Amino acid sequence: MMRALRVVRALMHASVALALQYRIEFAVEGALALLWMAVTLVPLLVVFGNRSAVAGWTFAEMLIVLGWFVALKGVLEGTLSPSLMQVVEHVRKGTLDFVLIKPADAQLLISFSKIEPWRVIDLLGAGIIFAYAFGRIGHAPTLPEVALAAALLCAAVLVLYSIAILVVSIAFVAVRVDNLLYLFQSVFDVARWPSTVFRGFLSVVFTFVLPLALMTTYPALALLGKLTPRTALGALCGSVAFATVARAIWLASIRRYTSASS
Amino acid sequence: MIEVAGLRKWYRVHRREPGLAAALRSLWHRPTEEVKAVDDVSFSIAAGERVGFLGPNGAGKTTTLKVLAGLLHPTEGRATVAGHVPQKRERAFLEQITLVMGQKQQLLWDLPPSETFLLNRAIYDIPRAQYEETMAELTELLELGELLGKPARQLSLGERMKCELAVALLHRPRVLFLDEPTIGLDVSMQATVRSFVRAYNERFGATVLLTSHYMEDVAALCPRVMVIDKGRLIYDGALQELVRRVRPDKRMVLRLSRPVARAELEPLGAVVEHRDAEAVVQVSQEALQAAVARALSSLPLTDLTVADPPLEEVMRDLFAHGRAA
Amino acid sequence: MRRFGRLYSQLLRTGFAEAVAYRAEFLIWMFSTNMPLVMLAIWAAAAREGPVAGYSQRGFAAYYLCTLLVRLLTGAWVVWEMTMEIRQGTLALRLLRPIHPLLQWSADNIAAIPMRGVVALPVTAVLLFFARGELARDWFSWLLLCPALLGAWLLYFLVQAMIGTVALRFESAASLFEAWLGFSNILSGYLVPLDLFPRAVRDVALWLPFRFQLSYPVELMLGRWSRLQALELLGVQWIYVAMFLLATRAAWRSGLRYYAAYGG
Repeated sequence: MMRALRVVRALMHASVALALQYRIEFAVEGALALLWMAVTLVPLLVVFGNRSAVAGWTFAEMLIVLGWFVALKGVLEGTLSPSLMQVVEHVRKGTLDFVLIKPADAQLLISFSKIEPWRVIDLLGAGIIFAYAFGRIGHAPTLPEVALAAALLCAAVLVLYSIAILVVSIAFVAVRVDNLLYLFQSVFDVARWPSTVFRGFLSVVFTFVLPLALMTTYPALALLGKLTPRTALGALCGSVAFATVARAIWLASIRRYTSASS
Repeated sequence: MIEVAGLRKWYRVHRREPGLAAALRSLWHRPTEEVKAVDDVSFSIAAGERVGFLGPNGAGKTTTLKVLAGLLHPTEGRATVAGHVPQKRERAFLEQITLVMGQKQQLLWDLPPSETFLLNRAIYDIPRAQYEETMAELTELLELGELLGKPARQLSLGERMKCELAVALLHRPRVLFLDEPTIGLDVSMQATVRSFVRAYNERFGATVLLTSHYMEDVAALCPRVMVIDKGRLIYDGALQELVRRVRPDKRMVLRLSRPVARAELEPLGAVVEHRDAEAVVQVSQEALQAAVARALSSLPLTDLTVADPPLEEVMRDLFAHGRAA
Repeated sequence: MRRFGRLYSQLLRTGFAEAVAYRAEFLIWMFSTNMPLVMLAIWAAAAREGPVAGYSQRGFAAYYLCTLLVRLLTGAWVVWEMTMEIRQGTLALRLLRPIHPLLQWSADNIAAIPMRGVVALPVTAVLLFFARGELARDWFSWLLLCPALLGAWLLYFLVQAMIGTVALRFESAASLFEAWLGFSNILSGYLVPLDLFPRAVRDVALWLPFRFQLSYPVELMLGRWSRLQALELLGVQWIYVAMFLLATRAAWRSGLRYYAAYGG
């Protein structure tokens, strides 16, 4: 266990060292992150331009969902996607063998291989969005609400990570389908709206098949004190189960992996 | 140390033909064919040996190496390395082996090699004292010096290969798998790599498996060679023996004090090269003594040497005629 | 001229074969263009009780499906190809061919239209099924749609090409493109119909080139304009196309001079 942590620390050290090498790009990417946050907010501002509630959610409440979305998107595009894209690069260049020959878990090695530190702006932005939203609501969330939201956020990150691992496992087997991760990133945009926006068939898909809306809706409900303990527990258990399945599929993919000789 | 019995590895590959019609057809029907990369290979290698795998492209050398490293699963057959089954990829096994591939690197591209060293140190869990000792030795042996601080992309190919070797050996592995390590390097760097590998093997008693196209690699480094062609092991033994069996001829290299007509050389044997005052004549083993005597007596020689034909030609012969050991 | 025609048609054929060979990636790339549907979800929810600024649920569906169609048919990715080839140095190979690299890339793009059409067909079917009533009734609008789509594609392609030429000199072409994309998403009507913006924003957006890359063809499909107005707007679009053509040519020339002197 200690060894695994040391490996993670070394991996993060390497990727941060890499990111800090390009200082100008750092600033540019930071500015772009701000731009994209603004772009994310515009549709919501227009929708609530002259109405107070949509699908049972007020402007402030939907802002909270959007805040979680911004935070998770930062995590997805700042660490998960770049790291896992490295796998695809490795397969393409034939250097995945170097990963597999190391006496450390391959999934661990590839998970933290690339971090884009400027995405921390997304987390800051989310914080500001929360502050503003709760300002409008009139009262701050209580401590147990925050704790529950944090737990659900961890569950959400776990699910997000597992989906990314699943996508990469597919890219393993069908080597050319590597922009599946890119596809997932765009599908993830669905999570910017609370799940009640979707009706019928889509609602089922985004709750159980690809629990996207849940990743942002549930933590938001928790912060607003509207999440029942049963739903929370279900979400937490579900995310652990999901992660277990993803890990199993990853291991199976590694076993099936064939590298072309030379 | 390494035991291989009845190893077989087959692949399925898709065939894609050129042209518009074929492109459209490929939408619903993709023909596959089976490729036998390794076909019934067996051998055994003792600890500390240096063994070279020779063979044309696509012969199965790299595939065999990767099976031994645990990167590929055999379709049939068994392999054990250092008492472990490679495909299980046990931690104890992985800590004892290393892989170096020519033209592919594990060095982090945009960072100095020292960063990759630190990362590998954490991965292999190398204690500090041993790490520093190994670093000092490798830096000295490979003359790494200031290379360690420059981003890997700024190093030349040869410098990168030296750092690659260092990174690969950081954890003092007992088995080295080297897949075409000198490909693309200039002549002096090739020599450096060869002498380093040899020194490492002699110093630490590590077992070395090397695949290469370059005969010099094998000649300089590997007392034992295995020749693989079309997935089959067609020779396993000493290099000299191989040369003798495939090309039992020798070559007389003659240097003369004055230009000599070709007709004067022909009684000695097959004239391979003739340039005024220099000539190379191919002579069979049995006729060698007589030919040498005749050359000494009938030609105005300043120098005469007897050499083996170049390995390249031996190999070419071997694969052209598919001769077995 | 005939030789050019033969060369270009060969490029088209090769581009098509490539698109088919990489069909999996292609389809995935197409399916990633799902933002209009995501936006439709929230607007459909908002319009559940009643229309929003003149758009009913069906109106929103028509708008966003048309947006999706236009985006699918006029998409370009040349900026990625350019930056990659410039970075890897393979641009030199392209420069050796007896046809301008931008024309080569345009061939790749056009050759992929059949593949794009495959994805566009179900979208069209859905559009016709759900929102036929919202579409333009005047055949003239549909006639103008062809040059409008061509103009939109050209604008899209040329902007990418211009940004791509930045890569001949600087590293930051990708970031520049992302910034442009951010503004374009808002001001082209991709995320939100331009009608729904506050007056001040809308009035500015209607004159910017972004609008003519996406919103204008969509407006035609929804029958927003009279014949004369539509023609006038088509004129504005093609004035922008001409401007972009000149700008791209200039950018390419100056970038190439720099590249030949320092880069490569």
